[in-house]
Amino acid sequence: MNITKTLDAKGLACPMPIVRTKKAMDAINTGEVLEVQVTDKGALNDIPAWAKSGGHSIINQREEADVIIFHIQKA
Amino acid sequence: MSNKVAIIAANGGMFDAYKVFNIATAAAASEKEVQIFFTFEGLNLIHKQGMHALEMPAGKEHFAEGFEKANVPTIPQLVEMAQELGVKFIACQMTMDVMGLTKEDFVDGIEVGGAVTFLEYAKDAAPTLTF
Repeated sequence: MNITKTLDAKGLACPMPIVRTKKAMDAINTGEVLEVQVTDKGALNDIPAWAKSGGHSIINQREEADVIIFHIQKA
Repeated sequence: MSNKVAIIAANGGMFDAYKVFNIATAAAASEKEVQIFFTFEGLNLIHKQGMHALEMPAGKEHFAEGFEKANVPTIPQLVEMAQELGVKFIACQMTMDVMGLTKEDFVDGIEVGGAVTFLEYAKDAAPTLTF
């Protein structure tokens, strides 16, 4: 799966990871994939909940050290 | 499912401001229509000068360090972000009259209204939240 765009939201606290993710998603097209990198532990639940609210799919999620990485495909 | 979120901001401390604007920006970023009705002390949160100097609850001032460490955005930043995301601010006319405030005392782009304005908006909103 190709990553269309990468968002570095590391170090940001709620609600910034969600706000930045929304803006980044606005800039890509349906079917394209956004990679989001966050360190806010709240995002572990918030990003999937946000994706669900917009009908987007989380196609991959992993943790590397303290960074949580999501791949979200735009609906 | 309702696509509207209605918020009443009735308190004017810094903690109150974070509760209001975090929920509002998160909702707006999730494609919800959001309106906040600011009444009584809640008007502090959008007052041009007041929002820069919101107080922490007595005895909780030591949390200032925690806010900085957690890299939490400032209230003026959250206000700007909320407006950019389309959150609508309604200032309570009656409270403004009581406190001798005019529309010019508040950040640009607000509307002024009464209780009925808010109730009409909130009648089919879910959730409606009060802070």
